[in-house]
Amino acid sequence: MKTLALVAAEAGDQREGPDSVLEAARAGDRGAFDLLMRRHERLVLGTAFRLAGNLEDAQDVSQEVFLRLYRNLAKLDTGNLAAWLYRVTVNVCHDARRRRPATVPVDDAPELAAAGDPQQSAGEAERRALLLRSLRTLSERERAALVLHDLEGLSTAEVAGVLGSSVATVRSQVSKARLKMRDFVERYSRRRL
Amino acid sequence: MTCAMWEERVALFAGGDLGTAEATAVERHLSQCVACRALAAELRLELDGLRQVHAEPLAAEHYAVVRGRVLAELAKPQRGRAAWPLAWAAALAVAAAAVWVVVMMKLPAIPAPELPRVVSIAPMVERPVPREPGSKRSLKRRERTGWQAKAPAPLAGGKVGQTLSSVNLQVNPVVSRPAAEDSPVRMVQLATADPNVVIYWLFEEKGEER
Repeated sequence: MKTLALVAAEAGDQREGPDSVLEAARAGDRGAFDLLMRRHERLVLGTAFRLAGNLEDAQDVSQEVFLRLYRNLAKLDTGNLAAWLYRVTVNVCHDARRRRPATVPVDDAPELAAAGDPQQSAGEAERRALLLRSLRTLSERERAALVLHDLEGLSTAEVAGVLGSSVATVRSQVSKARLKMRDFVERYSRRRL
Repeated sequence: MTCAMWEERVALFAGGDLGTAEATAVERHLSQCVACRALAAELRLELDGLRQVHAEPLAAEHYAVVRGRVLAELAKPQRGRAAWPLAWAAALAVAAAAVWVVVMMKLPAIPAPELPRVVSIAPMVERPVPREPGSKRSLKRRERTGWQAKAPAPLAGGKVGQTLSSVNLQVNPVVSRPAAEDSPVRMVQLATADPNVVIYWLFEEKGEER
């Protein structure tokens, strides 16, 4: 069974007849491919942004994902396009991270607290930034599981399919990721007080 | 303090990821545990905050940048992409040739073994030949049928000092003729590269060819 997130992502393909855009893109129509990118750019860039942690890397990842999409148009199963895009996005992020590892470990929380200015930081904006930072403290698999499940709205089974792991593993990763994030936020808040 | 054994389940409960039975068990625990109740509330708050942040769309130009880069990449001539297998093949061929040259330069030259030379050709002093193995019955059969063991082909055309590779194996009466009429067995002495190794070749000429 598909969640609303996957159904909504795939609905775009059906809007103009059955796979008409995809078929045109397969035939080499660059305009159709541009339309295909527009339909899925929120999925790809949004996910990549949360996984990579910064916009520049996310754009690089998205570019690579769409180039892979173009190269694989002929053999793609249109029914699973959204799942395919999620999988490739996660994989390209993983490759990018191997080339350039993230540099914000969990232990940076006290430093972040010390660097912040209590007078200037508006509570809400700071909290948003803190939540996004807490994502970076997670391991790669935990972050992928949490982003796909909690932010993109995929079911545990769908996340397991995208990540190539079991449902039990995804549940465990999601649970640990939530607890780690909460620990990070709590440490940061305690430091500020 | 929270209950460590409940933490993971509370984390899943906060996201609505537990089945009915498990959720009921967690709710029962939360009703009795203040710390876990606080944990669940914090987790819900953070999840909601994160979802709100994620739901905010990025600026349109960020998407446009990606699309522009992709289309520009696709508009590039395909020559580079199509030619890469050839480039790889050429690079591999050059690398293989370089390796072969290096290996050939490093290998020491192996001298060809020196062929034995004929140092003397002389009739052999005939000695009493030991009786051939075999039963009396088989000896009698040989006498009856006239069977004889074949002699080896005689060395012919050989000269002292000549290498074996140039020895002519055709019959040469001058060489193969025995010094004594009654001595059909001849001996050829061959010298090898090792002075301690000398090869003696004994053979018997056939009577008809003398």
